[in-house]
Amino acid sequence: MAKQKEIHFIFNGKEIKGIEGQPIAAALFNNGIRAIRQCEVTGEQRGVYCGIGHCFECRATVNGIPGIRTCLTLIEENMIVTSNLAGVQNDEV
Amino acid sequence: MMKCDVVIIGAGPAGLTASIELALKGLQVVIVDENYRSGGRLLGQLYEDRRKKRVWAGKIIAKDLADKAKALSVKFLFDTSVWKIEDKKVFLSNEVVKVIEAKAILLATGAIEKALPIPGWQKVGVVTVGAAQTFTNLHNVKIGQNVIFVGIDPLSISVAIEMKHAGVNVKGLFLPPTTNLLNQKCNPKEVLESVASAAGMATNPIYRLGGKFVHGAYTKLLLHLLKYKQLKINGIPIYFRKAVTQINGRAEVQSVNVRSLKIDGEVTEVEKTLHVDTVCLSGGLLPLIDLSQLANCVIIDIPELGGFVPLHNEHLKTTVEGIYVAGNITGIEGAQVAMAQGKLAARSILREFNLSSENEISVAFNEIEKARILSPITFLPEIRKGRQIMRDKWEEYLKR
Repeated sequence: MAKQKEIHFIFNGKEIKGIEGQPIAAALFNNGIRAIRQCEVTGEQRGVYCGIGHCFECRATVNGIPGIRTCLTLIEENMIVTSNLAGVQNDEV
Repeated sequence: MMKCDVVIIGAGPAGLTASIELALKGLQVVIVDENYRSGGRLLGQLYEDRRKKRVWAGKIIAKDLADKAKALSVKFLFDTSVWKIEDKKVFLSNEVVKVIEAKAILLATGAIEKALPIPGWQKVGVVTVGAAQTFTNLHNVKIGQNVIFVGIDPLSISVAIEMKHAGVNVKGLFLPPTTNLLNQKCNPKEVLESVASAAGMATNPIYRLGGKFVHGAYTKLLLHLLKYKQLKINGIPIYFRKAVTQINGRAEVQSVNVRSLKIDGEVTEVEKTLHVDTVCLSGGLLPLIDLSQLANCVIIDIPELGGFVPLHNEHLKTTVEGIYVAGNITGIEGAQVAMAQGKLAARSILREFNLSSENEISVAFNEIEKARILSPITFLPEIRKGRQIMRDKWEEYLKR
C-alpha cells in the first residue's frame, strides 16, 4: 500500500499533522484533540457529536469562513482552522 | 442553472445504485451530497455476515458503486446541501451550481440518529453510535480509550464489537434511564426481546446471544439472572439491568453514573460511578424526511417503519409528481435493502421516460424482499408490517 501523504494545518495556532483524505475532526482526534469549540451561551466545550453533518457541534472557522463542519471537511496543506475555544484545560472550567 | 434528467439527493447505497441504473439507460444524472465523498453510511459498515461467511465491507461496496457511476458519466456535486425543492428545481448551497432543473427527483437522504438526551450528553466525548462507527471504521481513529455505549440494539452491539477489534477498551453496553420520552428503549424486558427478535437475521454474535438465551417465556427468568450474572458478547459485557443516568466531566467526559434497573425499567437508588472518557449514544434511527416535507409530499407516521415517512406507492413514487424516494427515507433497513430500493426507484423513473417495462419493475420489486432476507442486521422487527401499512395507506390516498 502506498505511503499516505502527510498534511500540515493549523488549529487554534497549533500545527497539526494529518493524513491526506482525513476530515479535520479525524485529524484532531488522532492528535488527541476532541474539544473543537465552546458553546456561545454556556462557555462549555463542544466536539464531534453526530459525525455526519447534522448537529453542527463540531463547527469551526476554516480559512476565514465560519460555521464549517469539521466532520465533513477534508484537511488541506496550510489550512487555518480556528474556533472560539479559549484553551481551557479539563480541570480549569 | 444546470439541467439534467434526474437529480438524486444522497450518494449512499440507494442513490448510487439508482444512478447506475438510470445512467445505463442513457439518462443524465446528477447526485448531490453534503459529504465530501460518496458512500453515505456504507462507508462505516464492517459486519460479519453469518450466512455468506464473509465480512460486509461497506467501504469497498461504496467504492465499486461510485466507480461504476463515474464510468457512466454520473455527475457528483459534493459538499453541497439542498435547501429547497420547488417545481422540479433543486436549490443548492453550492457556490458554482445554485439550481438544478430535472425531469425527476429521487430523495435518497437516508436517516438521522434519534437523540438520547441524558444529563451531560452535551459534553466533549459523547458521540452518537453512527459517529463512533464512522470514525472507527472509515477514519481509523480511536475516539477514546475507555468507552461505554448507552442503548442496546443490533447497531450498538455491532459498533461495540468493531471498536473492540480496533483496540479500544469497551467497558460495556447499558440502557438509558426510563423517561416518558424514552419509555420503550429502557424497559429491560422489551429491549431484550427486541434484540432477540433481530437476532435471527443478525450478525453472528447477536445470533448466538439470541439463540442461546432468549425464548419467549424465558426472557423474564433470564432478566432475573442478569441481575447477578452478566452477559457478554465477544467479551463485551451487555448490561440489560443497568442504566446510565448521568454523564460527568468538567469539560470532557470523565465518568458516568450507573444505576440498577428493576425488570419493569424502574431505576433503583443505588448509584455507582464508572470511569470512562467516551460515551456512545444509540437511540435508534429516524428517516430523514425534511426535503420531502419541503417538496410538499404527504407525510404519514408509521412507527413500524421508524416514524414519519413520505407516503409512497410500492414502486417508490411519492404524492408529488416526479418525486421518488429510496433507502432509509422510506423506513429504517440495511444497506442491501436500500440498494434494491434504489434500483426499483430508478426503474420507476425510467418508466416515465418509457425506458423500462412493467416486468423490469416487478423484478426489481421482488429483489427488495430477497435483500431483506439476506440483510445481516434487522433494525425494526415489524418492518414488513410497516411496508404493508404503507401499501394500504397509498390505496386509501388514491381513493380519497
